[in-house]
Formats: sequence, C-alpha cells, structure tokens
Amino acid sequence: MAEVTLYHWEPNANSGKPMLALEEKGVAWNSHYINMLTFDQHQPEYLAINPQGTIPAMLHGERVLTESTAIMEYVDEAFGGPALMPADPRDRWRIRWWMKFMDQWLGPSFSMIGWCTFIGPALAEKSEQEREAMIARIPLPERRTAWRKAMFAEFSEAELAESRRRVGHGVAMIEEELGKREYIASDQYSLADINIFNSTYMLPVGNPDLVGADKTPNLWRWLRTVYRRPAVQRTWAMGSGRFTDRFIAIMEEFA
Amino acid sequence: MARQSSAPVLYHGGPNGPSLAVLAALEESGLGIECRQVRLIYGERHTLPGIEDSQALDFAVEGEGPVLVIGGEALSESVFLAQYFDEATGGCGLQPPDAYARWQMRMWCRQATERLAPASAYLGNIAWSQRQKLDGLTPAQFTEMVSPIRSSDLRERWQELFDGAVDAAKVEDSKAKVAQFAERVENQLADGREWLMGAFSIADLETYAWLNPMRFLEHDAFMRRDACVAWLDRVGTRPSVAKVLALADQGDPNTIFAPGPEINRWG
Repeated sequence: MAEVTLYHWEPNANSGKPMLALEEKGVAWNSHYINMLTFDQHQPEYLAINPQGTIPAMLHGERVLTESTAIMEYVDEAFGGPALMPADPRDRWRIRWWMKFMDQWLGPSFSMIGWCTFIGPALAEKSEQEREAMIARIPLPERRTAWRKAMFAEFSEAELAESRRRVGHGVAMIEEELGKREYIASDQYSLADINIFNSTYMLPVGNPDLVGADKTPNLWRWLRTVYRRPAVQRTWAMGSGRFTDRFIAIMEEFA
Repeated sequence: MARQSSAPVLYHGGPNGPSLAVLAALEESGLGIECRQVRLIYGERHTLPGIEDSQALDFAVEGEGPVLVIGGEALSESVFLAQYFDEATGGCGLQPPDAYARWQMRMWCRQATERLAPASAYLGNIAWSQRQKLDGLTPAQFTEMVSPIRSSDLRERWQELFDGAVDAAKVEDSKAKVAQFAERVENQLADGREWLMGAFSIADLETYAWLNPMRFLEHDAFMRRDACVAWLDRVGTRPSVAKVLALADQGDPNTIFAPGPEINRWG
C-alpha cells in the first residue's frame, strides 16, 4: 500500500495536475476516483477528508493536502525523481506567474465554458428537486453558486462572451510564450507545463478555430512534445469517456 | 533607442498593499535592488522605461502591483516577487524550510490574494481613490491615461473607479471577506504563536499589507479580535516593515490604493 493516496476525478484540469505530477516524479500512489457528476465529493466519506468538498485532495501519511497547484509544488519538493522546478530563481518566478495566470484568470474561463456545455447538460435529466438537494450539500457558498448556474443553465450571454474572449486571448499569450522558450516559462519541462497542459490538451478538438498546426505552430510543437511523454500517456490511460477519447484522437494525429 | 541599464529596478506604489509586501520582503532579503516609487493612481505603472517583455506587468492578476524589471523583463505578483528575493539570496527566512510548511504558507497566501486582496482593494479604492484622486481629470484626460493599459478587464476596473460606480453586492461581499479573514487570522493565532506560520514568513507580509488598511474602514471586523490586532501591530513594528512604512512621502500610507485584483467571476 503506497503512503500517498490521491482523491481525483478524470485526468483533466485540476484533478489531472497532481496525477501527472506524481507520475512524472515516479511516486507510487493509490488512486481513489471521485465521480464529480454523481457528487461523490459532497458525500460524508469525502468531506471527512476535505471538508471544503473540492477535488483533488491528497493524503501523504497523516497529512491532507488540497488545491491542485499547491499539491503539485509539494509533490515536487517532498519526493525524489526528476525536478519539476528549475534552480534559477527567475525561471521559478515565471513558472509561478504562469500557474497563477492559468489558475485564476484563464482557467476559470475554460471552466465556465466547460460547465455550461458539458457539466450542466450531463445533469439535465435529474429532477429539479434532485438538483436542489445536490446543491444543498455543497459546503462552499461560491461553489453552490457555480453549480446552480451550471445545473439550471443560468449563464448570461455577457459572461460567456467574456470567457470566450479570455480563452482566445490566453491561447494567443501561450502561443507567444512558446515562441520565446522551449517550454512554458523556462527551457525545462516543469510544473507550469503540467498545469497548462491539463487545460489545453483538448484544444485541437475542442477549439480548432483557435489552435492548429498552422494557426499556433509553437503551441502545436509543445503539445506534440508533451503528448509523447510516457507519464502523460500513463496518466490519460487512467481516464475514461470523453477525456481519454479526446486524448487518443489527438495522439493519433501526433503519432 | 538606447537600451536601458540592465541593473534590476523595483517600481512600487508606496508602502501599502502589494507594494508594501514586496518592499518589506526586499528589506528582509538584504538584496541591494534600486527602488523607484511611481504614482499608481495616475497610471504611471503602464509607462515604465526599459521594458522589452511587459507580459507579466500587463496581465498581472494582482492588478496595479509592484513591478521588478530585470534585463528588460517585467516581473509581477507580490507573493512570487517575495519568493524570488528569498530564493535569490539562497534563503533569507521568508519561506519555511519544510515542504509541508511551505505548502501551508502557499495555501495561506493563495487565500489572501484570492479572497482578501480583491475585497480590500475594492473597499480601499472606493474609500480613498474614487473621484477624489482622479477628480482633476477630464474624461478625455482619463481615457488618454488608461490607453496604455493592455488588459481590458483591468481597464474596466479603472473605468468603474473614474465613473464612481459602486456595486452594493460587491461591497457586501468584500466586507464579509475582510471580516472572515480577520477571524481566520485570529483563529490561526489562537495557540499563542507569534507569526501566522509559526516562524515569520511571506504570509505575514502579504496578509498585513491588505488587512491593515481595513482597520480604518471596517472597525467591526476587528472588534474582539485582540490577537489579530496585536499581530498587526507586531508586523507594523518589525524593523523591515517600519522602515518601509516610513517611506510614505505624503499622507497616510494606508490610503494608497489603485485598481487591484478582480473579485472572482466564477467558482
């Protein structure tokens, strides 16, 4: 039994970040799948681990760690294996800057669009009463607001338009960044690549209007490189449904 | 055009908010980096010289925070600049030595920058920056002043400030978040510890920088939170912080505000 247990959903966005970081470091870990769409994360068993009801969460011995990017930084520092942060202080600054930009500016826009087009419709067959009961079990008020919007399709056209603007702008910034350096934020594969790959790996299928071999040659080169990493292949092999289907479809193009 | 000197320069807005946190961290580090004050409220952060790569300045989630220019690259975000100083010295005690304690500090700082900072910036700007500091500008002058700002959502926050817009829901949300953070600090100190993480760290600087000015606006948030108030006084009299606070060239440094991070728009 490994001393690390990760509670996670699919290899995608926040759940995928610590999954891939653990695989890159070669850390043995127990996988505990939390089905976000059946609200496993708000059941008492999981709330006993993380009272906030957010995923992922990681147990390392007696320690409980939350927040995907902070978990990744801990994994890099607490375990042996290849370093996922370079030694140079300025590169380290730049990696943190990009992770914050993704976590707090660009990521929420990806997320809003994803929740509007996938998460909400996936729960649409449930009765209003069932959905209200699911919302009532959510500990954090801002998450209750987010789930309500997704479940009852309450997104305004203005906020979706703003999210689309940010996605377009963010993709252009990543393309520019990858014209400066081999990887995001430094010339070494790092936590910034793991972070941003988890929100961009599906763009060739999800947003062919924004991303492609001709439209974004730097991003395309980087995606091809990261897709081929053995740890990335192992991580997405743990997924299911559309997440793995998309990964395989794009991988075939890069093969 | 001649290249600017490559010696690093820290541009800051004076001793409050993220600029205070970074100035004090620099003082703690002992690094000899030149500091130059700019007037954030007049948009001067967007016309700095010697910058070839301005991406981190233009799209800082933090908004109008300090900017460190090294070799033509603009570096931003106060917590990460403080970490940079700590790591550039090989460790000057601003980050805990243990991986788990560092995770705790990062989590604390993330909560401070994501919840407290937008709330404090929203209330501080309404109280001290709205109109009175921009009053002398005509709409045309204001438009010209904000035209170098590349981030359209940051420009929008500037426009709201100039227009005197006040969103009652955001005010209520911000007041609640300030009170919650004061309570969080009070609870963290309940075991009698001197600093938030046990040993002094970036968490103390970042939290002080956003929470201290709220003592003058949100009195109720600090009522019966004696440990929190004593801690604020302790941070304020720490030599690095006291030295930086003395830099205030005019007026009360607690009133120095300019558009900060946005209040979470999703999730």
